[in-house]
Amino acid sequence: MNLNFTLSEQDLQAAQRAVGEEIRYGVPADLSLTGQRMPGYFVVGQDKWAYVEHGKVLDSGLIAAMKDYKIVPLIGNSVLEAEEGGTKRILVRVTMQHAARYGYIAQILNDMSAQRRIRIFNNEVEPVCTKCGGSLVHGTRVCPRCMNKAAAFKRLFTVSKSHWKNMSLGLIVLLASSAVALVGPYLQKILINSSLQPPEGQDASKTIFFYVLGAMLLALVLGELFGIIRGRIMAGVSSGIAADLRKIVYDKLQNLSLGFLTSQRSGDIMNRITSDTDRIRHLIQEVCTTAIFQLIMLISASILLFNADWKLALVVLLPAPIVAYMHMYIWKYVLWKLFHKQWRVYDKANSFLHDVLSGIRVVKAFGKEDGEILKFRKYNSQFMDAAIKSEKLFSILSPITNYLIQLGQYLVLLIGCNMIIGKEMNLGELIQFSSYAGMIFGPIAWMMFMPRWVANAVISIDRVFSVIDEQPEVLDKEVSLKHDIKGTIAFNDVFFGYKSYEPVLKQITFDVKQGEMIGLVGHSGSGKSTLINLLSRFYDVTEGTIKIDGIDIRDIKQEDLRSQISVVLQETFLFSGTIMENIRYSKPDATQEEVIQAAKIANAHDFIINFPDGYDTKLEENGNNLSGGERQRLAIARAVMNNPRILILDEATASLDIDTEMAIQEALKRVTHNRTTIAIAHRLATLRNADRLLVLNKGEVAEVGTHRELMEKEGIYYNLINAQRDMSKQKTEQHKVEHAV
Amino acid sequence: MMQSVANPVVNEEVKTESDLADAAKIRYLSADNTVFSKTPGNMLSVKVAEEEHPTVYVHCSFPHTNKRIYLSIRTIENKEIGMIRSLDDFSKEMADLLEEQVQIRYFAPEITNVVAVKQEFGYSYWEAETTAGLCRFTVRDGGGNAKMVSDKRLLITDVDGNRFIIADLERLSDREYRMVEMCM
Repeated sequence: MNLNFTLSEQDLQAAQRAVGEEIRYGVPADLSLTGQRMPGYFVVGQDKWAYVEHGKVLDSGLIAAMKDYKIVPLIGNSVLEAEEGGTKRILVRVTMQHAARYGYIAQILNDMSAQRRIRIFNNEVEPVCTKCGGSLVHGTRVCPRCMNKAAAFKRLFTVSKSHWKNMSLGLIVLLASSAVALVGPYLQKILINSSLQPPEGQDASKTIFFYVLGAMLLALVLGELFGIIRGRIMAGVSSGIAADLRKIVYDKLQNLSLGFLTSQRSGDIMNRITSDTDRIRHLIQEVCTTAIFQLIMLISASILLFNADWKLALVVLLPAPIVAYMHMYIWKYVLWKLFHKQWRVYDKANSFLHDVLSGIRVVKAFGKEDGEILKFRKYNSQFMDAAIKSEKLFSILSPITNYLIQLGQYLVLLIGCNMIIGKEMNLGELIQFSSYAGMIFGPIAWMMFMPRWVANAVISIDRVFSVIDEQPEVLDKEVSLKHDIKGTIAFNDVFFGYKSYEPVLKQITFDVKQGEMIGLVGHSGSGKSTLINLLSRFYDVTEGTIKIDGIDIRDIKQEDLRSQISVVLQETFLFSGTIMENIRYSKPDATQEEVIQAAKIANAHDFIINFPDGYDTKLEENGNNLSGGERQRLAIARAVMNNPRILILDEATASLDIDTEMAIQEALKRVTHNRTTIAIAHRLATLRNADRLLVLNKGEVAEVGTHRELMEKEGIYYNLINAQRDMSKQKTEQHKVEHAV
Repeated sequence: MMQSVANPVVNEEVKTESDLADAAKIRYLSADNTVFSKTPGNMLSVKVAEEEHPTVYVHCSFPHTNKRIYLSIRTIENKEIGMIRSLDDFSKEMADLLEEQVQIRYFAPEITNVVAVKQEFGYSYWEAETTAGLCRFTVRDGGGNAKMVSDKRLLITDVDGNRFIIADLERLSDREYRMVEMCM
């Protein structure tokens, strides 16, 4: 990340006057306290900082005179704060564009103020294009050089290569069907000229009449037949390509790091797999059928028209673009706007319905049915009004636009009839000509709309490829080990931050012996869950090492590592499927007996066996047909099924009542025997079986020891225990009072 | 007889209201018990009765509908010291001081003229004149980055997290509306 911007000559001189010759860091400070965008800079020298703007120093100070520098994110802007003489002050105010930069600056200022080594892990490089190395459009992954429509199509073409045989076949059929379509008007001409109204001096030929009629019928049948074949082939090709894309995206997603996945909304990712690939499928189908067909028709019909009579062809073709443009204009600016409004109202009504129906219990509980009926009536009548309005206008405008499209025909007839009267043309030729003329307006009008949907499809192509191009942050080394975990864990001077300027864990050093149970204790946000995320290697440490059995976890194959570590989280996630399938998720070849054993350990067997469908009970989405405690117990069963060497319990029993928790604890004690277990719990009684407790405070290890040792120490753990005791005492007393009343 | 039936109902309603207030235990700050002052470091300090806080922050309960009512005054540790029912209850000088802090916390320049919006590759590139000057910013399509926060008010959040407001969509010209609508 750029922390040293190039200052203008006048700003540089001013900055040097204020902080000395050497400017170590200089970053934009672009917002005034009154809310105006400013071209100012915040500069840091050897021992001073300053704010310069238009070559003037507006504020400056000694770095060591202040402490606790901090970037405070507000709503839509941030301020750099520091403490001076016991009170806080604002140093500069910036837009969110530079907020992350100030995270680093604050860290640097704190280190300078405390005269420490500057410790910034500047991993967050300014994003550049992975292909050309050029800079991206700010805040996006779009490279203006690499990302254009041609590049997008080129990539799509590469993916489509494996389908080239079918695609070529489809194109041949497409060409054939275009040829058949073009034969139609020619046959009409022959029919008229040879049989219906032969030129003077010639007799009408019955034979030709029947032949042509037969040929027309054949053309019609062939045309339809080719249409069906073309549709079938192209549907296969486009669905095949879309399926390939979906597969690539899905495979990639499974391999991407948790960091990327959590930064994206799951709906957005789902869209990329489903709607975006579907839009691409639609694009391929449209391009390979309609678009090429329309293009062929346009070109061939134009050539044939010019061949027949170039003057007449000009009369037809010249107004065509104007007519097509008018047609597009009416659609885009009048009809589209109207329909868009109608869709918006429809959308609103739809989400209202969705809302109310999903929350119908709440509506009924508060007795608000009448209110909801009234609200729906309002939306309904709004939608009706919008629909009537747009349909009314559509009914008037649609014939007009169609008439415009047919205007060319009118001109052809007008001039053509004149030519017939002047004996320059015969009836057959006119009919053929007007048929060809009719063939070009459709494609022109269609192509006017093409840029819009091509642009939409390109967005989809880009969105799909942006996932495919994403690089996983946690990578296996070229030579990764397969290792049978015994269970010794060692954290050695570990630093980690999701953003490196904000370390969540600092200087973490501790050892866990094989088979030991460690209880992780600390306030919310103290870094407990982050610590276990690092152990499972969902993220890599910023500095330091984590070793399992003396081997750096970055040297162990990820798949191998995670298959031997089981995690039970507080928020369980169960897949749709039966209870049986869910329990044996981590070990698909587990026998029924093993599944029952795992369930028994997790204290889940008793409730499962009471279900009418037993272990075959089908779970609804995320196990919604189970209670929280039941879901949790299934998750524990799933975790122990795997026979893990390291078991991580992240608030695993928090949503269970004390009795169930105790039962599970007992069972877990049996299963965790000889296995290394790390358990996080807010309810400290849960950790009474722990061999040792590790107390985290603001990302640092504050206390380590057994329950007794820590109680004697009277530190953070002691206070936490006392606070919980007080709370439960209060509850018990309250309970007694209530009972007495 | 009628009265004796009606009265308990009325009483109960009154009681429910006061119950809520009792349970919420909101401490209201008024001009009588509170004095705000600006620190040399451009921050706000407060003295409530005998209690002094050298640095406090002002949070709005309704940042989109009314920034002048129900303001929460909070410490650095994010604990609420008390609430202000309305800025009108304070002297103009003090109300201005509080409003200044609100303006610092909630920064969303109002778009006065949409110059251009270009949509490409899943992002829209905006150029707009705002109350903070001419701004060029990029908005990621979808994901609620342009959303209606009231009937007419549109909130736009750019890729960095900067916020912009169109106070009244209906006041936009047809040309502006067409450009903005594409992003909604």
